[in-house]
Amino acid sequence: MTPFRDMDIIKSLRAVGQPLKRKEDERLITGKGRFTDDFSLPDQTWTAMVRSPYPHARINGIDASAALDMPGVLAVLTGADAMADGLGEIPHNPVPSTKFDVKLTGRGGTPVYIGEHYLLPADCARYVGEPVAMVIAETRSQAYSAAEAVMVDFEPLDFVAGTREAAAPDAPKLWESQSDNILVDATFGDVASTDAAFAAAANIVDMTWVIGRVTGVPLEPRAALGSYDAETERYTLYAGSGGAVRQKHELAKVMGVEPEAVRVISFDVGGNFGTRNRAYVEFGLVMWGSKRIGRPVKFRADRSESFLTDYQGRDLVSEVSLALDANGKFLALRANNLSNVGARCVSLSPLSKGSGLITGSYDIPVATLRSRATFSNTMPTQAYRSSGRPEVTFAIERLIDKAARELGYDRLDLRRRNLVQPSQMPYRNAVGSLYDSGEYEKNMDRLLEIGDWAGSSTRRKAAEARGKLFGLGFANYVESSIGSPKERADIIVHTNKGIEVVIGTQPAGQGHETSFAQVMADLLGVGFDEVTITLGDTDVVTAGGGTHSGRSMRHASTVMALAAEDLVEQARALAADILETTADKVTFGEGVFGTPGTNRTLGWTELAVKAAETSPGGLRVRRDNEMHQPVFPNGACMCEIEIDPETGQIDITHYVTVDDVGRCINPMIVHGQTHGGIAQGVGQALWESFAIDPESGQPLAGSFTDYGMPRSDNMPSFLCEIAEVHSPTNPFGIKAGGEGGTTPAPAVIMSAIEDALAPLGVIEIEMPATPLKIWNAIQTLRAATPATAQTELV
Amino acid sequence: MYPFIYRRPASVADAVRQFEAGDDSSYISGGHTLLPTLKARLAAPTDMIDLTALPELKGIEETDEGRILIRGGTVHADVAASALVREKIPVLAGLAGSIGDRHVRHRGTIGGSVANNDPAADYPSAVLALDGIVVTDRRRVAADDYFTGLYETCREPGEIVIGVEFPVPLSAGYAKFRNLASRYALAACFVARTTSGIRVAVTGAYNTGVTRTAAFEAALAGDFSAEALDALDIDPEDMLSDPAATGAYRANLVKILARRAVAHQGEVLIYK
Amino acid sequence: MITVSMMVNGDAVSRDVEDETLLVDYLREALGLTGTHVGCDTTQCGCCTIHLDGISAKSCTVLAAQAEGRAVTTIEGLAQDGKLHPMQEAFRDCHGLQCGFCTPGQIMAGAELIRTWEGPLDEHQVRDEMEGNLCRCTGYHNIVKAILQAHAETRATVDA
Repeated sequence: MTPFRDMDIIKSLRAVGQPLKRKEDERLITGKGRFTDDFSLPDQTWTAMVRSPYPHARINGIDASAALDMPGVLAVLTGADAMADGLGEIPHNPVPSTKFDVKLTGRGGTPVYIGEHYLLPADCARYVGEPVAMVIAETRSQAYSAAEAVMVDFEPLDFVAGTREAAAPDAPKLWESQSDNILVDATFGDVASTDAAFAAAANIVDMTWVIGRVTGVPLEPRAALGSYDAETERYTLYAGSGGAVRQKHELAKVMGVEPEAVRVISFDVGGNFGTRNRAYVEFGLVMWGSKRIGRPVKFRADRSESFLTDYQGRDLVSEVSLALDANGKFLALRANNLSNVGARCVSLSPLSKGSGLITGSYDIPVATLRSRATFSNTMPTQAYRSSGRPEVTFAIERLIDKAARELGYDRLDLRRRNLVQPSQMPYRNAVGSLYDSGEYEKNMDRLLEIGDWAGSSTRRKAAEARGKLFGLGFANYVESSIGSPKERADIIVHTNKGIEVVIGTQPAGQGHETSFAQVMADLLGVGFDEVTITLGDTDVVTAGGGTHSGRSMRHASTVMALAAEDLVEQARALAADILETTADKVTFGEGVFGTPGTNRTLGWTELAVKAAETSPGGLRVRRDNEMHQPVFPNGACMCEIEIDPETGQIDITHYVTVDDVGRCINPMIVHGQTHGGIAQGVGQALWESFAIDPESGQPLAGSFTDYGMPRSDNMPSFLCEIAEVHSPTNPFGIKAGGEGGTTPAPAVIMSAIEDALAPLGVIEIEMPATPLKIWNAIQTLRAATPATAQTELV
Repeated sequence: MYPFIYRRPASVADAVRQFEAGDDSSYISGGHTLLPTLKARLAAPTDMIDLTALPELKGIEETDEGRILIRGGTVHADVAASALVREKIPVLAGLAGSIGDRHVRHRGTIGGSVANNDPAADYPSAVLALDGIVVTDRRRVAADDYFTGLYETCREPGEIVIGVEFPVPLSAGYAKFRNLASRYALAACFVARTTSGIRVAVTGAYNTGVTRTAAFEAALAGDFSAEALDALDIDPEDMLSDPAATGAYRANLVKILARRAVAHQGEVLIYK
Repeated sequence: MITVSMMVNGDAVSRDVEDETLLVDYLREALGLTGTHVGCDTTQCGCCTIHLDGISAKSCTVLAAQAEGRAVTTIEGLAQDGKLHPMQEAFRDCHGLQCGFCTPGQIMAGAELIRTWEGPLDEHQVRDEMEGNLCRCTGYHNIVKAILQAHAETRATVDA
């Protein structure tokens, strides 16, 4: 790994590192946010989708006559209409393609078949909720009423929803051209060495873990407003997204036009977490619809539609085995991971990201991983908060807990003696990931100190005196931030309103307008208040990678630093002119340019005015950067829980984290990211499940009535500490802070539950560990004799 | 929601007339059960008769017989905060203060709750356990006769709940275990020592809707203690069963919650 | 169609709307006050929380007609004479918002809570009283902090 060169321009850091209040907040706390549904266009119409009630059905015909007769209805459009108009597939490009992403392939190294994604299918519906037609009407209510009247001649087909069931060779097939539902089957690592290590091992521990399906539930339901200007032949789309630039290019392909014919506007986005990283069919449909009827078309999903048809998260079955020597040293790991991508492949990020991290924080010399993905008649999945990493962290951390228990080790000691050491950094793990930096044992030590691990026995006794079962959980984690490799920054020094940075990330709450301003302010030596960040309108933001995988600060700060260097050079030339010297004699520091022999200094605004005299663009630069090298945020986590054995009710009483995010730009924002990330991980462990009834193929949780959420009264307060081990891969030393809260959370909660039930016995509870399941587990343990009290799944 | 005609009657009699004149009328009070139903397009009333402004439905007072009358349009927050209810039947005030969330309590009404008899609602268990009298626009019905099954009451179409009269008990206790998603009761037990005997009413659990547990009442009549229930069991076959809670789990909860309500008379215990 | 008139943020307004119009849609569509948000369809998320005669209510579960003649306060009307409400300040101070979508509802709920709460207010009580306002971004930690801070400040002002 070649460390990034030192950059002179990163010197006096004043704003960076400070918990500055956010610039975004002024509009958001006064009701002046600009979310997609807040926009309306003159003469706009509304659309509603006709959705399949079946998990799998052929579409034999669509009769829109009754719907067309209803009040306010302007059009009913189908997949056949879309085909006839030449609309293309959405180019999701789901196979991660940076240099360092794990290379997933089909069987025998063949390309991955992804299943076409047209805006509306003409052949089959492949999941409950898949839209098969769209109704356009004057009002939203009229559109939804008319959608109910569209008669679709569905011919139900055999379906399969469960992950393992769908992977079976004889399972009902989703895609006729394929021999089965397996789209990815690739093996990584050194098989021969792994087998040898297992054969020689003193002990082997194995387990199969199921990390189920959840959904992101951003509080803003997805929405889109499309309009077509027949004169300019341009589409304008308002749609909250995870990357307006990407979606502009994708939707241009769908519509069959040049990218410049599409403008995507994504201002305030009400939460993403991965759900908005890929374009939704409704985005293309409102664009197409607006061209067809000559008026703007608007869509807003109900929450029930969001539950049903937001791109979903997780859904992995992981069989793992760990080989150890007689002293508890980890010798080798085997993993067989099966990811359920849903009805078509929109993103392989979860399987890919997870694949690179199966060995976790530990120095395991050899490993073999078989990574498979299967289609199923369910909503497609994609990246969701720490895509892939909570799953594999769960697999290894829980396996180590099992090894400790079965082989008689202390679970912290067993971890310590196997951690990757700082002296080994950069460390290439057994499946090829190169961990850039980190001090894993130091994280553990610090966590145990601030979390008062030693005092837990006192708290345990107190809880038991109140009739509660007390559980103490622990997990280490290392996760990865890769992301789209390219980013662009424009810096414009205005003559009258400070410095503007245009950048292609796409925040949905991460505070880029603030933290990026902190970075640029320090790079250029100006005040934080003088810098504004422009995002989200592709007519202004010409390139960029969006926001996902914790990429934003690392990519943005790097390209901003490079752009700032360029800008300083440009400014130096201008200053030399004014100061009547040569550029090499011009100094830059503390935000001003000068030269030896004079007290005169020139600030940025003055130079902008000078530049405006000679160049129409004024004082500005554009810089592109491409970075492929991943970074590996890491940390440790502990929690305490209390269970009421009579009811199975569980309370979290203590939750502590140490997170190495690399350099921390704004600790207030990073803590906020950790908090929210924790909630999503805990939610999966205790309350959240997008379960499908295997008999009917119908989702069981279609609203907040059934889908349990983290709420103010079931979440604890947190104790979080930031560790900063600068990454050598980028000039600011940044890793990422957005996903470390989630990564260890499912593992730490289930570790605590296992600890709480340990006096009664050992039993595996599949997440979410609801009070019902905990109570059932307790009944099973109490009924079982010691000999049989093992590994019964509830 | 499907379109409807909104009507605002000036009196209860007016409301009943408007109801009967409509093709498929519905009353709206707090609306926190009705409006979600309509948004889901599960019903399409033609006429929406708004009871929220009717003065005859507002207020809490003590009757001549010493019962506490809570009129149907009284919101849960007002019952929870009422000095009279807190003095005379504090557990009833506490129950009202545990319904839904804060904003729901500012709109939801006892009349709506009792009229609807949702199987997981709180008020029906209080009305039944306290031996309340449901007062409608046309009659007075004892609680035992009013609740007739899952979502069912003896109300005729158009009949309005004017209020509920609660006799003051010797003591009462309420214990509720909430569904972790919907926050409705998976099971809840209201245990009251009334002037006419021990009454135990369970909501959220029985497949017959709000139901009295005769076996518990008999045991507690002999010995009012949690231990008196030890030997008794609830039949899981009598329970509702769904992905959140099996019949066996609910049966367990009913027993545990009844024990706790007995042991903590005067308190409202909410588990979530 | 019916004519629905009310006070909104101190101004008298009157609009002709469909009978079944919800208060939240009256505010967003008829009045263009898009600060109040719709986050669900089962009255469970709280993004639409406003004040109706000073008391918090979920505007998605009130018919506009039910607010006839009443006084509605939305997030746009919380600041007075250009000065932010202590709850708005506290949310910014404590980083109680990230994406901002649930924020108007949180702030309106918090503001009403601290105005009407009698006596001391602790973390547990705040968490209980705020269970009707979902947030997916913050994990609630900083929202609770913000509400406690605003409460302490307003008490201090009152006691001073």
